[in-house]
Amino acid sequence: MSTLNRRSFFKRTALSGIVGATVLTAGKEVLASPSEIGQVGTLIDLTRCDGCAHEHTPQCVLACRQKNQSRFPEPEKPILDYWPHKNHEDWSAKRELTNRLTPYNWTYVQKVTVPTASTEETDVFVPRRCMHCENPPCAHICPFSACTKTSEGVVVIDDKICFGGAKCRDVCPWGIPARQAGVGLYLHGAPKYAGGGVMYKCDLCIDRLREGKAPACVDACPQQAILYGQKDALLERAKARAQEINGYVYGEKENGGTSTFYVSPVPFESIHQAMVEQVVDGKPGLPAMPVGVGNAMDQANNMAKAAFFAPVAGMVAAAVAAYRTMKGDE
Amino acid sequence: MSPQKREPEGILGNGKVLRHGKINRFVHWIVALSIFSLIFSGFGQMPMYKRYMLVDVPGMAWTGDYALTLTLHYLGAIVLMVVVAFHIFYHLLRREFHIMPRKGDVGESIQIMKAMFTGKDEPPSHKYLAEQRLAYAFIGLSIIGVIVTGMIKVYKNLPGIDLAESTIFWSTTLHNLTAMMIILGIFLHLAAFLVPANRKLIPSMFSGQVDAAYVEHRHSKWWAELVNKGKYKGYSSNRQGTVNSQHRGFPK
Ligand code: HEM
Ligand code: HEM
Ligand code: SF4
Ligand code: SF4
Repeated sequence: MSTLNRRSFFKRTALSGIVGATVLTAGKEVLASPSEIGQVGTLIDLTRCDGCAHEHTPQCVLACRQKNQSRFPEPEKPILDYWPHKNHEDWSAKRELTNRLTPYNWTYVQKVTVPTASTEETDVFVPRRCMHCENPPCAHICPFSACTKTSEGVVVIDDKICFGGAKCRDVCPWGIPARQAGVGLYLHGAPKYAGGGVMYKCDLCIDRLREGKAPACVDACPQQAILYGQKDALLERAKARAQEINGYVYGEKENGGTSTFYVSPVPFESIHQAMVEQVVDGKPGLPAMPVGVGNAMDQANNMAKAAFFAPVAGMVAAAVAAYRTMKGDE
Repeated sequence: MSPQKREPEGILGNGKVLRHGKINRFVHWIVALSIFSLIFSGFGQMPMYKRYMLVDVPGMAWTGDYALTLTLHYLGAIVLMVVVAFHIFYHLLRREFHIMPRKGDVGESIQIMKAMFTGKDEPPSHKYLAEQRLAYAFIGLSIIGVIVTGMIKVYKNLPGIDLAESTIFWSTTLHNLTAMMIILGIFLHLAAFLVPANRKLIPSMFSGQVDAAYVEHRHSKWWAELVNKGKYKGYSSNRQGTVNSQHRGFPK
């Protein structure tokens, strides 16, 4: 990393929502690469986000779409159904949708009206996207390892490997990844019978992070509602902010821990409730916010110890059996 | 001297040979059962049962639950690993290596297969035919492969464990590959029983016994060993059978 880059990074640190010059420094120098600060994260301050009330489209959503435009799927037509089903997921004619997650829209802002403590109602704007979980089931269970967690703690899907089975979406508590049929590796196999396309979701602008920049949405937000920085520092900050406003944090415990921390003045139970009531079309792409939701891997992980111990158990049993039969009493 | 070990195998009095003791049969069937369950739960890890509507079959809706099929996969893996470790150490301790591949097995297998078509005599065999030893090595190595890569996967799934992306990619790819090798191996293993000559072996995995005549004819080297052992190690009850079957003049 050249000094020039470091200097410009430092400037941007001061300008944008990048958190804690302190946590981003080692010694006297500002670090430019997240790999040098360990895991990164974001803080989404719902007291600051106003959904860009005066804009046609929220700035974070626009910035995200612009940044990722070249990566959006261009499906080959005609798109085959997912045999033996008579349907397939095709969002290519609905690219303009900005009010839900689609393969062409990796973040959106959901507006919910929730009751507050003083029985009045308040509008909350919740920017939604992948939470970049600490122990991401979407990555762990990907049968092709197309979905992985990087050393920065960012969860990315490789669109060249993804087969579009949508398993990641099924095990994600928020159903985040969105599927587009008619693109990807499966077209080279037996597209009628196996595979479903490619899954798309936020990758926290990993390319920008590695250049020492913040995610596009962070830089775009006029309210500095989204902060980016070292994960642990952001969690501290989220907790401090919650205390300050007598509010709540979401994302610390959910799904076994994430790297996205929402701070809200109203309980997330109410936000969740309002979201559940609002989601009407039954399709994925409009996640709610279940509080304390568990991780799909929990039960299996509880058995991991037994798995590591299994060979030892077999060895001990073998020694006993061999000893007994060699003495002559099988 | 090492402690005297009782060979479960031997020539029985009823014109049969005990080919596999209880422990071998138990190991074989637990391995087979756990592997069949692992194939089922493993394919459940591919998003297949929803796609191909198994979940719509009454009573099969659970197959679409990844958390559940993953748990079943772990269960099957635990059983398989206990039994495989048992198998390896049991035979190591007893120094039983009948089934380990030997030099020249590939050539000998080809000879046996040729004999099948030409009707010529097979080369004399030990307890296992050369191709059985090769089959064992192929299936055994594939199982070791699936276990090693599977353990890496189990480890990486633990909270707080982050392996390098390339490690994860390779363990997944090799897990899938070794799983396919096992499926191929089982397929060939079962296909072998389409050959009439091999069918005589089938009872050995159930009652443990095969016809003495079959052994004498096809596994003549092993037969000679068994006969010898009967003579010099004092298998009094079996000895009778040995003598009998020889006297009855089984076909050579
Ligand atoms: C997961 C499934 C299975 C695995 C991994 C497996 C593996 C093996 C191996 C490695 C051997 C020793 C070498 C050989 O004979 O080729 C063997 C022997 C045998 N297997 Fe299997 N097997 C499986 C399923 C079955 C099934 C379903 C049958 C049912 C007919 C069967 C019948 C036998 C018999 C009869 C033998 C004894 C052959 C002999 O005495 O030489 N196996 N099996
Ligand atoms: C005959 C034995 C086995 C077969 C046929 C088999 C097959 C499969 C298949 C097809 C998958 C889905 C694709 C994938 O995710 O890679 C899978 C996943 C998995 N297997 Fe196996 N497997 C076997 C044994 C084992 C063993 C012994 C272990 C553990 C020691 C294991 C651990 C796993 C794990 C943890 C996954 C879940 C996916 C992941 O965490 O990455 N498997 N297996
Ligand atoms: S939010 Fe969903 S898609 Fe994103 S890392 Fe977590 S489990 Fe995966
Ligand atoms: S996070 Fe910022 S950019 Fe996005 S909607 Fe809220 S105010 Fe606008």
